[in-house]
Amino acid sequence: MLFSAVIVQIAGFLFIWTIFQRIPTINGWSMWQVVMMYALIFVTEGVGSLFFEGTWRLSNLVYTGQFDQMLVRPLSPIVQVLANAVGFNGLGNIVTGLVLIVIGILNTPVQWTPGRLLMLVILVASAATIRVAINLGSAASAFWIKAPWSMVPMFVHQLGEFAKYPITIYSVAVQALIVIAVPFAFVSFFPTAFIFGVEAWSIQGLLTPLVAIYSVVLAVWLFRVGLRRYESSGH
Amino acid sequence: MGRYRKYASIARTSLEITFVYRAGFVLNMLGTIFYVVAMFYLWQTIFLGSPNALGGFTWPEMKAYLLVSFLLNSLMTWFAEWNMSMDIKEGRVATDLARPMDFQASRMATAFGPVPFEFSSALVVGAIVATVFGGIALPADPLHLVVFLFSAFLATLIKFGLVYCVSMTAFWTTGIDGIMVGRVAIQNIFSGALIPLVFFPDWLRAIAAVLPFQGMISTPALTYLGKMDGPTTALMICIQAVWAVGLILLGRLVWRGAVRAVTINGG
Repeated sequence: MLFSAVIVQIAGFLFIWTIFQRIPTINGWSMWQVVMMYALIFVTEGVGSLFFEGTWRLSNLVYTGQFDQMLVRPLSPIVQVLANAVGFNGLGNIVTGLVLIVIGILNTPVQWTPGRLLMLVILVASAATIRVAINLGSAASAFWIKAPWSMVPMFVHQLGEFAKYPITIYSVAVQALIVIAVPFAFVSFFPTAFIFGVEAWSIQGLLTPLVAIYSVVLAVWLFRVGLRRYESSGH
Repeated sequence: MGRYRKYASIARTSLEITFVYRAGFVLNMLGTIFYVVAMFYLWQTIFLGSPNALGGFTWPEMKAYLLVSFLLNSLMTWFAEWNMSMDIKEGRVATDLARPMDFQASRMATAFGPVPFEFSSALVVGAIVATVFGGIALPADPLHLVVFLFSAFLATLIKFGLVYCVSMTAFWTTGIDGIMVGRVAIQNIFSGALIPLVFFPDWLRAIAAVLPFQGMISTPALTYLGKMDGPTTALMICIQAVWAVGLILLGRLVWRGAVRAVTINGG
């Protein structure tokens, strides 16, 4: 699994690199900016699976009734779900994604001050938080769909495809979808705009930590609403 | 024809199973739509931003290329691969060994059963995407369409041959998901699914030329668009056929070695 994550990212990088061999910019965005968006999507995906793989197993826990155990333990079921499993494939995504991010940063035109570096760390951490919140919120669908596996989390996960490229290439409807409804744009696009000091979009990049808080609140709320419906398997 | 009837009924059952789990099938397909739509926007931006045709493609041709790629990728979903390797991993293959039929042929029937359904669903989805993005280039000559369908059939055979070989690794390893993901990534880049191979620099194109993957997307897509002259088309289709037969035979060879190595749930 470690190795396959590396292959996926090399293939993704080859794709972007090949396009930029033909054209200098996409809608004004340079190769390293697009690579940065791409890498952020993969790093945050890696964080989601390495530390919080449990979200992907929730539907199975609910279906088999194992979720009952979590309700009688003296610890928040949300924490238990998040910490339920470790996905080592995440490590490959994190490492290769970070390598791409570092190379990307070396190609930024901006002056790196300690304050800016601190902001970078906050942005990446917020991006990962948003990603995990999206996973948790969509995993809560398991409380409604009583099947051994739910396709809803995978479906929402696929929305991240849009966030691999600058949102300026999309129609307003798609932009609204990934900026407001499922805030994937704050995982990749806005942080990248800030990191590269793209004037027009940097300010929104600073909103990323707030969006992270909003996503967590929303995900926890969805989980709680679902939990109230939960009636154990076999009912 | 009696000896083929059992495989026909396997194929039919496999199709029926897909119908039973249609909600999963639909969501799976919807999931790939985001990817296709993202690619459409990306290429639209690239094409509308550059004055000349890129790599010899016009924008309507590129749209057609992307949809043919989507259509072919929709055939034989990962369910086929997943089930095949899980059968091996969880030992159900033992029952197959006792059955009076060829293992590879039965798996082929399972994989091909849902293809008509996958094909028509992808066609509907593709038509909607094409309409939203203002239409695509159609084959200039009806003959192109006929050759395309044949080439697409060979492409699906290659895919089966490859997927079968990859599933066989489940005899030796317990973690098949990583191998599946890696296979898809390599296939996507070298088949031309993400980007037409003409866009590649020479060294990458040389690598793609000696691999089986180009026969899975690039060759059928180029026949659809009529981008290759007669002799080149004939040559490329022959290469496809050689890979299809070669991979299926390789699969048989691996199988023969594998059943000797079979260790099911603790030996």
